[in-house]
Amino acid sequence: MTDTTLSTQESIFTSTARDWSSDMSTFKGVPWGKAMMWIFLLSDTFIFTCFLVGYMVMRMTVTEPWPVASEVFALTVWGVSVPLLLIAIMTFILITSSGTMAMAVNMGYQRRKWAVFWLMVATAALGASFVGMQCFEWTKLILERVRPWYNPMGAPQFGSIFFMVTGFHGLHVSVGVAYLLIVATRVVRGKYDHTNFEIVEITGLYWHFVDLVWVFIFAFFYLW
Amino acid sequence: MATEGQQHPIKIYFLIWLLLFVFSFFSYLVDYLDLQGNLRWFLIVVFMLLKAGFIVAIFMHMKWERFALIFGILLPPIALVVLMFLMAIESNYAWNTRVWYMGEDMAPKPKPPEHLHHGESEEETHY
Amino acid sequence: MATVEVPYQETVPLHHPKTWIGKYIFSQDHKIIAVQYGITAMAVGLVALILSEFMRLQIAFPGWEFMNFFTADHYYQAITMHGMIMVIYLLTAFLLGAFGNFCVPLMCGARDMVFPFVNMLSYWVYLLSVIILMISYFVPGGPTGAGWTLYPPQTITAGTPGFDWGIATMLISLAVFIVAFTMGGLNYITTILQARTRGLTLMRMPLTVWGIFIATFLGLIAFPALFVSAVMMLLDNFLGTSFFMPAVVSLGQKLDYSGGQPLLFQHLFWFFGHPEVYIVALPAFGVISDLISVHARKNIFGYRMMVWAIVAIGALSLIVWAHHMYVAGMHPSFGFFFATTTLIIAVPTALKVYNWILTLWRANIRITVPMLFALAFVLTFIVGGITGLFLGNVIIDIPLSDTYFVVAHFHMVMGVSPILAIFGGIYHWYPKLTGRMLNDTIGRIHFYFTFIGTYAIYFPMHYLGFIGVPRRYYETGISEFYPIAAHNLNKFITIAALIVGISQVLFIYNLVHSYFKGKKAPANPWGANSLEWCTPETPPRHGNWEDRLPTVHRWAYDFGVPGEEKDHIPQTVPRRKAN
Repeated sequence: MTDTTLSTQESIFTSTARDWSSDMSTFKGVPWGKAMMWIFLLSDTFIFTCFLVGYMVMRMTVTEPWPVASEVFALTVWGVSVPLLLIAIMTFILITSSGTMAMAVNMGYQRRKWAVFWLMVATAALGASFVGMQCFEWTKLILERVRPWYNPMGAPQFGSIFFMVTGFHGLHVSVGVAYLLIVATRVVRGKYDHTNFEIVEITGLYWHFVDLVWVFIFAFFYLW
Repeated sequence: MATEGQQHPIKIYFLIWLLLFVFSFFSYLVDYLDLQGNLRWFLIVVFMLLKAGFIVAIFMHMKWERFALIFGILLPPIALVVLMFLMAIESNYAWNTRVWYMGEDMAPKPKPPEHLHHGESEEETHY
Repeated sequence: MATVEVPYQETVPLHHPKTWIGKYIFSQDHKIIAVQYGITAMAVGLVALILSEFMRLQIAFPGWEFMNFFTADHYYQAITMHGMIMVIYLLTAFLLGAFGNFCVPLMCGARDMVFPFVNMLSYWVYLLSVIILMISYFVPGGPTGAGWTLYPPQTITAGTPGFDWGIATMLISLAVFIVAFTMGGLNYITTILQARTRGLTLMRMPLTVWGIFIATFLGLIAFPALFVSAVMMLLDNFLGTSFFMPAVVSLGQKLDYSGGQPLLFQHLFWFFGHPEVYIVALPAFGVISDLISVHARKNIFGYRMMVWAIVAIGALSLIVWAHHMYVAGMHPSFGFFFATTTLIIAVPTALKVYNWILTLWRANIRITVPMLFALAFVLTFIVGGITGLFLGNVIIDIPLSDTYFVVAHFHMVMGVSPILAIFGGIYHWYPKLTGRMLNDTIGRIHFYFTFIGTYAIYFPMHYLGFIGVPRRYYETGISEFYPIAAHNLNKFITIAALIVGISQVLFIYNLVHSYFKGKKAPANPWGANSLEWCTPETPPRHGNWEDRLPTVHRWAYDFGVPGEEKDHIPQTVPRRKAN
């Protein structure tokens, strides 16, 4: 049996080649669920990128005018129009939820179950409020007569792609909220006591991925 | 499967958390200061990639994974870069044909959103 | 980590169901799930086969009274359903769902898939997708008749059969299938990567597992593109968005669409569609490599080369997609790029063919039924591959596109070839799966009917293509466009197709009959080396192995090693100390 002790002098290519040519497991020390989640996220990356490529193609090919995002998504607060105010708040909320999730993972490996529970519930609450704001934003657009098939400001594809991509992302967030709550409950009920609480990290991977997607949506849909 | 898991000092999470806020704020500033053209394009992408990189590297613990996993996850999306690149060329071509052969307007101006122009033009609504 | 690693599967207890339903219906045992996948795929494949026979009858005997019920709409619906069922619901589901489920844990020395429950769910969601697909025959307007590529705008404009509801059931069924595939595929990949047994390195895996591994990985990153295009087309159809729909005048009326890009659909579809070809082909390559090696009693020639060829084909298949679109009106210089990458992909593919032939060279070939199918596969694949070189070149493709040459090409390369691999695989693994041998005589008769029959069907089609017979025509009528010989050839093809179709009854009879009455199979009837032949029981029980998982000491291809007594050495036999 080969000794799998890691040598620090090993180059990254040597270590990769060694891991991939070893027996039993390729990703050393990675639990099955985590490996599976990573591969799922890779697959999901392809889904979101295909959506974003669709957006790029729409945006580059339409000859009707594309609305100016910072005007469309401006909020009027006390009579002053602030561009992208709601989006900024949504971004900050999602980043915050990512932070609490990272803390939950850390607490998980310290086996502090109640800390994990409350941090995950906080994450879920932040996620839910994100979805709520998204609903608000959709309502606002719909009241301004933007539809998936129609857009009073120019190209109808603006509405189509916006509702589709943010909707799909919102769906991911909603699923994530449910997933977080289920895992949090199961953690305090002791379902994972025999494990190393890697389930928290796996949930965290999903949640951070949702945040990651938002980084791209934020840049491409609202700032571009 | 014996694993020590990903335990790291909490300090680094706070640091990254802060950095994400800062980068988000800067990319927001790009819009607020109304930078345009290549500078805007460049700054948006840089901040986006920085944020994405920090999330993947620190929050998703990619930095501490073994390279077998890192390569396994990060190499396949190269196919997406090819797709994106080719689709950009293709879309540019499609747009050109629309402008050249169908006489579409090259630089149309969008109408402002309704909350800015306080709707005098009442078009038919498409419910 | 200095301690010796213990396979995680040895430390966790297996879930053993008590009831009959838990054991055979909602089973979490990968072997039962494989059988469920296999039976469902074959059943739906039979539907597609019957549809194709109707199409052939219509082409050969237009105007025959017996075919009066078969209108042009039915014809296009049959084309669409035949293509989609064969490619996705039969070939993908059989090669990955059935062979993947059966082979991966056994050949990796695992007790089961890593998440058996998700694996079970994968089958039931797949069944749901099949049911949704079949529902499309009962919705108003019937199934979609847009061709299996579902190109907009015609897919969702009036005039195409099933443009309103049929397309919806088709797209929803595809999306559900993708969910099912993702659940299964994640399991196969994680099992192969993380749950191999002691001593089983990736470079000791049988090539079947390699083929399934890369194909599943391709599936996981290619199906998203189909998923996205399905979602966008559903929105186009039901919400009236204009992703793929430009301003269209249909039946004299301007539709409410504007500014969409139909080519985006084609790009997304083929970004999925071309890897899909290899999702089907790579497991077939793997199965064939194993069959040839085992039944020729010789190690596979150039094992490492074979593995890297699979990997290279997998990687290249993601950047060749637009060679399906040479006449679609895309950017003019794309043809150069995609023709180049397409011809490059011929290199690893040809390597594999050479290696199969070199494996056969001076080997101790046993003409068993699986071997017959394997040899037939190599022949068919060479024909299909070489016509692929024709179609990969832009200037040759343009006159040939949308002719029967294309039909002949893709049926040879990804219709008949994978089916032959599936048959070969079934004849090879049936003894291990059921504990009974399949009837040899019936097997041989089935083989000759299938092999010679498919050649009789598809070889003349190349000629039809060269003289310009267009594909997808319901009725050509009498025209001076092509000679009367073409009509006669069409009749000949149809008769051959009917014979091949009917001869499949033999195969099904053989499967059913041998299950009850077949000869009892020994544990290792073919003298193969890979792990599935080393199970303590035949058929393997739930959990496959004893308390301790097997230990692998060598690759799966030690046949006729000089200086050894037996002509084959299973993977579990320790190597002698080096002298």
